[in-house]
Amino acid sequence: MTPNLVTIDWLVLAPVLAPALGALVVLLADALAPRARGAHLVIALMALGAGLGALPYAVTTATPARTLCLTGPQARCFYESGPWGLGLQALALGGALLVLLMLGPGTRHLDRAQRGGPAVTVALVLTATAGAVMVPAARDLPAWLVAIELATLPAVALVALSRGRGAEGGALALLMVALTSFAFLAVGVSLWLLATGDATFATDTLRTAFDDPARHRALLLAILFLLAGLGFKLSAVPFHMWTPQAFVVADEPVAAFLATVSKAAALGAAIVMLAPLIALNAADDPRAQSIRLVLGVLAVASMTLGNVVALRADDPVRLLAWSTIAQAGWVLLPLAMLTPTAVSASVAYLLAYAVGTLAVFAVAAAVHSASEGAGERSLTAYAGLARRSPLLALVLGLGLLTLAGLPPAVIGVVAKVVALQPVVAAGQWWLVAAAVVNIVVGIAVYLRWLLVVIRPGEAAGATRVPVRLDPGLRVALALLASALLVLSLAPGLLIGFVR
Amino acid sequence: MTAPAYLALALAVLAAGAPLVLLVGLFDRRAASGVATLAAAAAAALAVSALGAAHGSRELPVLRTLPPGIDDGFGVAFPSRIASTPTTLAIALTVLGVVLAVQVYAGWYLRSDQRQPAFMATVSLFAAAMLLLVTSRDLVLTLVGWEVMGWCSYLLIGHWSGRERPRRAAYKAFLVTRFADAAFVIGVVALIAIAGSSDIDAVNLAATSSSALTVAMIALVIGVLGKSAQIPFQDWLVDAMEGPTPASALIHAATMVAAGTWVLSQLAPAVHAAPGAAWVLAISVAATMVCAAFTAFFQSDVKRILAWSTISQIAVMLSPLAVAQTADAGGAAATGHLFSHAIFKALLFLVVGWLAVLAGSTAARDLSGIGVESAFARGVWGLGLISLAGVPLTVGGISKEHVIDSASWAHGGEPGLRQGIVSVALLLTVALTAAYATRAYEIVAGRGAAHPSSHTSAPGGAEHRAEGEHAGAAGPAVLVVLALLAAATLAAGLVFLLGPLDPGAVNVALLALSVLLIGVGVLVGWYLRPDDARPPARMATLADRGFGADTAYVALVATPVLALARAVAYLDREVIETYVRGAGVGASLTGRFAAHSHRLERVASDLIWVVLGLLAVAGVALWG
Repeated sequence: MTPNLVTIDWLVLAPVLAPALGALVVLLADALAPRARGAHLVIALMALGAGLGALPYAVTTATPARTLCLTGPQARCFYESGPWGLGLQALALGGALLVLLMLGPGTRHLDRAQRGGPAVTVALVLTATAGAVMVPAARDLPAWLVAIELATLPAVALVALSRGRGAEGGALALLMVALTSFAFLAVGVSLWLLATGDATFATDTLRTAFDDPARHRALLLAILFLLAGLGFKLSAVPFHMWTPQAFVVADEPVAAFLATVSKAAALGAAIVMLAPLIALNAADDPRAQSIRLVLGVLAVASMTLGNVVALRADDPVRLLAWSTIAQAGWVLLPLAMLTPTAVSASVAYLLAYAVGTLAVFAVAAAVHSASEGAGERSLTAYAGLARRSPLLALVLGLGLLTLAGLPPAVIGVVAKVVALQPVVAAGQWWLVAAAVVNIVVGIAVYLRWLLVVIRPGEAAGATRVPVRLDPGLRVALALLASALLVLSLAPGLLIGFVR
Repeated sequence: MTAPAYLALALAVLAAGAPLVLLVGLFDRRAASGVATLAAAAAAALAVSALGAAHGSRELPVLRTLPPGIDDGFGVAFPSRIASTPTTLAIALTVLGVVLAVQVYAGWYLRSDQRQPAFMATVSLFAAAMLLLVTSRDLVLTLVGWEVMGWCSYLLIGHWSGRERPRRAAYKAFLVTRFADAAFVIGVVALIAIAGSSDIDAVNLAATSSSALTVAMIALVIGVLGKSAQIPFQDWLVDAMEGPTPASALIHAATMVAAGTWVLSQLAPAVHAAPGAAWVLAISVAATMVCAAFTAFFQSDVKRILAWSTISQIAVMLSPLAVAQTADAGGAAATGHLFSHAIFKALLFLVVGWLAVLAGSTAARDLSGIGVESAFARGVWGLGLISLAGVPLTVGGISKEHVIDSASWAHGGEPGLRQGIVSVALLLTVALTAAYATRAYEIVAGRGAAHPSSHTSAPGGAEHRAEGEHAGAAGPAVLVVLALLAAATLAAGLVFLLGPLDPGAVNVALLALSVLLIGVGVLVGWYLRPDDARPPARMATLADRGFGADTAYVALVATPVLALARAVAYLDREVIETYVRGAGVGASLTGRFAAHSHRLERVASDLIWVVLGLLAVAGVALWG
C-alpha cells in the first residue's frame, strides 16, 4: 500500500459531513419509505445537532483545527477552522436548524409545506448548510468555489419551491445574479491562480505576487473580481437587486435562511479570501488602498441605500430584505480596515444580526397566515400585537431593537460598538460619520415597525394570530427569545466566542 | 450612652415622627398633633438626657456605604461623624426647645386647618434636618441637613398653597435660596476636594491661605448669605411671612436662617484663612444690618417688622465671623448670638401670632392698642423686645455685647478697615434696633391709635393678611409656652455664666457706648415713629415694598433668564430642529427616490446593476 497522500481527521470534518450525510439519508429514506413524511425533519435535526455537537471537538484539538493536510515538510492543510470560522459554522448550523423548525416540513400544518414535499425541502436545506459550513474552512480555490455554489444553488431551489405566487420569478432573479456572480468568481479565481501560481489562499505565495509589480495589478484585479462576486452573496449594493425580489416571494423561513445562513457563507468566503492579505499587514499598505476603498464604499452604499429604502417599505418582508442589505454594509464596515480585530468584529456583528433577524422572521412567519401572498402583507397586520399577543410582541421588539442597536437589546448596541471600534481605531472618520448617520436612519426604520406593534387599537388590516402556533415555530421562538435575552444580559459571551 | 448617641436618637425620633404624623393624620388630626408634639418632646428629653453624658463624636452609620477603612475609590474620606460638645448641646437644646414650643403652639394655632398634620410633620422633619446640621462634623451631613431644610421651608411657607400670595412666596423662597445653594454646593465640594476629606475638622486643618480656598469659601459664603437672607438675597424672607406664624417662628428663630451662622462658625478657621471670603461676608452683613433695621422701622405690618429684624439680627450674628481677630472668638460670639436670638425671636413671633388671632390681622393698624388691656401680653412682648434691643443683662444684651466686643479691636491686633466698617455698622444697628423695638412696643401697648374694631380696610402699599381666624382663645399650654420663653429671655443669660457658651470679656467703654446708643434709639423711635392711623408716608410705602427688591429680582434676574430661555428655545425650535426635521424629510425623500429606482423588478435590470457595479469596482482598482 502507498502511504496516504493526505491525513484526515473525520471529527474535525464532522460539521460539514453531518448535514451532507443527513441530506443523503433523507433522500434515501424518501425513496425507500415514501409514506414516512415525519421522519425527514427528525433526521435533519439530528444531522444538524450532530454537526453542532462536533464543533467543540474542533475547539479543543487545536487552534485553528486543521485537517486534509498534505504530508511532508511543507505540510499545507485544505481544511482549517479558527475561532471566527467556528463562529460562522455554528451560525450556519444553528440558523439552518431554526429555519427547519419554522418550516416544519412533514408536520401536520400542511399549508406551510413547500411544493415538492418535505424530503426535498429538508435535503435542500441540509445541502446548502453543508456548503455554508464548508466555506469558512476551505483553503483551496476549487473547494472554496464549489462550497460557495453548494451553499447558493439549493437556496435558489428553496425560493422556487415556495408556495407564494411569483416564486419562480424571484428564483429566476436570484439564479441569474448567482450565475453572473459565479462568472465573476471564476474570473477572479483564474486571475488569482495566474498571479500567485498557487491554488490555495496562502500568505507566502500571495506575498511574492503582491511584491512583484508585474503580478500586483493582476492580483488586485483578482481580489476585486472576487469581491464583486461575493458582493452578490452578501447582498451588498450594487449587487443587491435580487434580495427584495427573492425575499418577497419566498416563504418567510426561506427568506430567513437567505438572510442568515447564506450570509454566514458569504462572510466566510470573504474572510477566507482576505485572510492572507490581512496577514500581510495590508491595513497599512498603500498598495492595498484600493481594496480598502472598495470595501468601504460597498459598506457605506449598502447601509445607506438599504436603510433609506427600508424606511419606505410597507411589506414587512420587503423591509427585512432592505434591512439585510443595510446590515450587510455593517458587516463589511469593519472588514474594510483589513485588520485581524476587524475580522472578529465582522463575525460578531453578523452573529448578533442573525439572531435578531431570525427572531423577527419567526414572528413574521407566525403573524402572516399562509393564505397571504406576496404583495398582501402589510405592517398594519401588526397593529395592536402587543395587546393581542404580548409574547410575540416581546420577541419581535427584542429582535427589532437588536437590529436597530437600542437598549434594552444590549446585544445590538454592543454589536454596533464592536463594528465601529476598528474603524475608529484606524481613524477612518468619513466611514465613522457615514455609519453614525446610518445608525440614526436605522433606528427610524425599526422603530417605525415597533411603533405599529405597541400602538393601541387594532387597524382594519390586522389579522388574527392563530391561537395555536406550530410546535416547531414555538420552539424556534422560545430559543430565539432566550438567546436574545441571554446575549443582552451577557453580551461578552458573543464577543468571547469569536475572539 | 454617650451624648452623641442621645442626639442621634433624638434625630431618629424626629425624622421617624414625620411620616408617622402624616399616617396618623389620615385618621385623626388631633391625634396626629399629639404625636408630633410627643416626638418633639421626646427629642427634647433625649437632648436633656445627653447633658449628663460624656461628650464626644461618633459615626453615623446610616449614611455610610462602605465599612470604615475601605477606600471608596475616589481618594476622599467620608467619616460621617456627628459630635457633641457643650456648645453643640446648648444649640441643640435651644433648637429642640423652640421646636417643642412651635409644635405645642401649632397644635392650637392650626387646630381648624385641614392640613395641620402635614404642617406638623414638616416641622418635625425640618427639626430633624436642623439637628443633623447642628451635630454634624461632616460637610456631607451638613449638606444633607441644609438641603432638607430648604425643601421643608418651601413646604411650610407655601402651607396655604390655595392662595396666590403664599404660593408666590414659597416659589420665591425656593428659587432665591436654591440660587445661592448652587454656590453652597460648589463651595462644599471644593472644600472636600482641598482637604481630601469631608470631615469638618480635617477641612479646617487643611485650610491654609490659597486662591482655591478663597474661591471655595466665597462660594460657601454666598450660599450662607442666600439661606440667611442677607443682601442681595434679603427679600425672600419678608415674603415668607405669608406662611403660618409658627412656621415663621421656626424658620426665623432656631433653624433655617440661623443655619448659615452655625455652618460658618464650624468652619471659622477656614473663613479666617480666606480673607477674600471674609470681605464678602463683612460687606454684605454690614450693609444688611443697617438697611434691614432701617427698613423694619417703617413697616406697616408687625410680622414684617419682625422679619426685617431677623434679617438685621442674622447680619449681627454673622459679623464676628467676618472680622474677629481669631477664628475661635468669632465662632463663639456668633454662636452666642444665635442662641439668644433663637429665644427672643421665637417669643416675639409666637406673641404676634397670638395677638393676630385676637385682632384678626398682623397689620400695625389692626394691632394698635391690642395689649392695652392685657398686662401679660404687654409683658411678654416687652421682654422679647428688650432682649431684641440688647439691653444689658438680657440674653440678647449679653450676646450682642460679645459680638460688638469681638468685632472691635479692643483685643489688640491690627485695626483693619474691615473691622472699622463692621463696628460702625454694629453701633448704628444698636440704635436703629432700639428705635424699631420701641415702635413695635408702642403699637401693641400704646393708646394713641384708633380703636381696633373701627378701622377700615388697609390702604394700598400695605398688604396684610388675616390668618388663624378660627383658632379661638389660646389655651393654657400656649400661654405657658409664652411665659417660659419670656422668662428665658432673662434667665438664659445664666447659660453664658455656666460655661457652654462663651460670654466674652466685658468691655466697659463699649458697654457704656451701646447703652447710650440704645437710649438714643428709644428716643428717636418714640418721636419719629410713623402714625399707623394715618395713611402711610412715602417712606413707609417704599419700606413695605422692601425698597423694590422684588422688582429688582424680577428685572435683573428673572426677566433676563426667561428671555435667555426663550431665545434658546427659539434657537432650538427654529434652527436646530430644522436640521433634525430636514434630516427626516431628506431620508424620507431619498428613500422614495431609491424605491422608485428599484420599482422595475426585472432580471435584466438586476444584471445591469451588477455589471455597472463590476465596472465601478474595476475602475477603482485600475485608478487606485
